[in-house]
Amino acid sequence: MDIAPALSVEELSYTYPGGGRALDQVSFSLAAGERVALLGANGAGKSTLLWCLVGVLRASGKVVVGGTELARGAEAEVRRKLGLAFSEPDDQLFMPTVSRDLSFGPLAAGDAPEESLRKAHAAAGQVALAEDLLARPPHELSSGEKRRAALAAVLALEPEVLALDEPTNSLDAPGRAALAEALLGLPCAQLIATHNLDFVRRLCPRSLVLVEGKLVADEQTASLLLDRGRLADYGLLAPEKGPT
Amino acid sequence: MVARKRGKDALWQARELSLAGLLGALGLLLPVGFHALGWGGKIFLPMHLPIVAAGFVLGPATAAGLGLVVPLLSLALTGMPPLPLAPLMSVELMVKAGVASLLYRVLRLPIWIALPVALVADWVVLALAVLLAAGFLNIKAGALAYVAAVIVAGLPGTALQLAAVPAAVAAIERRLPRLALKRGKQ
Amino acid sequence: MIGHFDLYMRRESALHRMDERAKIIALVGFVLAALIAPTRPVWPACTLFGLLGLGLVFGRVPPLLLARRTLLVALFVGLPLLVSRWGGEDARLAAEAFAVKSLLVAAAFMVLMTTTRTVDLLDATGRLPLLRGLSALAQFIVRGVNVLLGEVVRTYRAWALRAPRANLQLRVRGLAAASVSLVGRAAARSDRIGAAMVLRGFDGSLPQAPARSPAAAHLAIGVAFAMLSLAAAGIGRWT
Ligand SMILES: Nc1ncnc2c1ncn2[C@@H]1O[C@H](COP(=O)(O)OP(=O)(O)O)[C@@H](O)[C@H]1O
Ligand SMILES: [Mg+2]
Repeated sequence: MDIAPALSVEELSYTYPGGGRALDQVSFSLAAGERVALLGANGAGKSTLLWCLVGVLRASGKVVVGGTELARGAEAEVRRKLGLAFSEPDDQLFMPTVSRDLSFGPLAAGDAPEESLRKAHAAAGQVALAEDLLARPPHELSSGEKRRAALAAVLALEPEVLALDEPTNSLDAPGRAALAEALLGLPCAQLIATHNLDFVRRLCPRSLVLVEGKLVADEQTASLLLDRGRLADYGLLAPEKGPT
Repeated sequence: MVARKRGKDALWQARELSLAGLLGALGLLLPVGFHALGWGGKIFLPMHLPIVAAGFVLGPATAAGLGLVVPLLSLALTGMPPLPLAPLMSVELMVKAGVASLLYRVLRLPIWIALPVALVADWVVLALAVLLAAGFLNIKAGALAYVAAVIVAGLPGTALQLAAVPAAVAAIERRLPRLALKRGKQ
Repeated sequence: MIGHFDLYMRRESALHRMDERAKIIALVGFVLAALIAPTRPVWPACTLFGLLGLGLVFGRVPPLLLARRTLLVALFVGLPLLVSRWGGEDARLAAEAFAVKSLLVAAAFMVLMTTTRTVDLLDATGRLPLLRGLSALAQFIVRGVNVLLGEVVRTYRAWALRAPRANLQLRVRGLAAASVSLVGRAAARSDRIGAAMVLRGFDGSLPQAPARSPAAAHLAIGVAFAMLSLAAAGIGRWT
């Protein structure tokens, strides 16, 4: 029963230079294959937490991904195991064509060209990205296609943990449904940062809630979503009665 | 130029490459914007602005490479600057951005020295290149007069650079604090 | 969204199907030929114009676009041509040669650009050892243009909607404000793109796409075109 977690975070704290404390003693862990929502209002610290997990922001505390501790010299390995999909796909797709972008990760990791191309196609298949889009430059894709291409670029590295920052941004209802479908089909553990409660309702059995950098809840999503008073306190619902 | 020492400072190199790409993109887009407003490129030198700014935030090799590439790419993609002019501008911008980077980032001179020196270096190179090209094409008369005319016509653009480049560099360094720390260490 | 920011025309034509490396070879040969070709006697330049015409026809280059681009070059080279009328015979011939060469080279580039995707072109130049770094830089610029173009259009629209009948001073301020905010945003964006690259294993060099080998027939046509141009120019100049 006691298997090593896919991701474990202990007492993570981060303060922006010249800014306030964005993360305060955050601890939690994800089991292999588990899908967990990271909820919080705008500015709660969700993105900051994700950037700290991959070591782009250097936080105090401990992060262990698939048995590898994030430390100087081990960043590359942690980043191969934990893939981060940004909130803005345009920031993530940087190669001239989609297929070159998808195969960038495997190539950089030392795979042979054919093998990396195979991984790119497999990743595109996982998110239902049509084959004929692969030869196109990223700016010729729609928002939803870009979102899925950026996700595939991360998946091509075959991560053990997938972290997604606001994956529903700029997606319409069918786009959100297609994304949810793709995420349900993935075997890796997932940490989904969002403020969209409907999206996580069917996707994530468990939810973490951040309020001003502090982890204030770690519980079953179903029970959390029933408690409208607390959701409003957390800034996840508009208050029942607005100010007059 | 792009593929330098491996491993060591990959994040810095990645940022430099993507920053170069975006500033170069501005170098392509600003002239189009100026033309849309009906303002002559030869007077306000819009392409010079982001490329000179790039000289202050990129390493010398990348900055010079950017200066070389942008006018040619612009010619290929938009048809501006027109053909005989584009290679000339390539040489100009390569020297200008390279000199700015060398003075500001490597020798760590203040911007109010580095910028005017880069502008003058541009004029010197322009004169040399025009004389060379004129010699090659056998048009002796009027080469120097042409250079003088280009410089005078571009004076508003030069003033614009003196005013806007330090502001742009400050804006970029504010967004990328590590850049300011990095100065001189390359 | 917005149209792409280059000359490429999606069409069916022999030149569109041709391997971009063959087209580059042909172009390089043609440009060299244009530079060395004399304008007296006239037959070498006429041959080059004929070869150029083949490119225009087989690439199905839109005549209107060609006319616009030619006008642009003509405006620029027209002035020396005009001024040289009051100069001597030498000056007139030199200005004429300058105009002819400019037109030839500009039109040849246009054939290449309208029939070849920029992405494929930069991929091809990136395989040449000397041009590798510069091509990577150019690829990032092209990507940046398409990303920033969206922001420019949005910023300008937002501004224009609020100031529909702006006078010159307001326009200057609008453009200045948009440019400054763009520079700041570009810097912040480059930070995130840099992170994206490193997170996926960028270690200082960009991996190259696996190369297809170009079809021998295409290469042969490209080389033949280049040789033909050079032969016409060379014979005209040195005999
Ligand atoms: N670069 C930065 N410098 C200073 N403060 C920042 C920076 N980025 C974010 N913050 C602050 O950190 C807090 C958390 O931000 P963020 O992690 O982006 O929130 P979320 O992703 O949950 O919306 C916010 O109060 C924000 O203002
Ligand atoms: Mg966020």
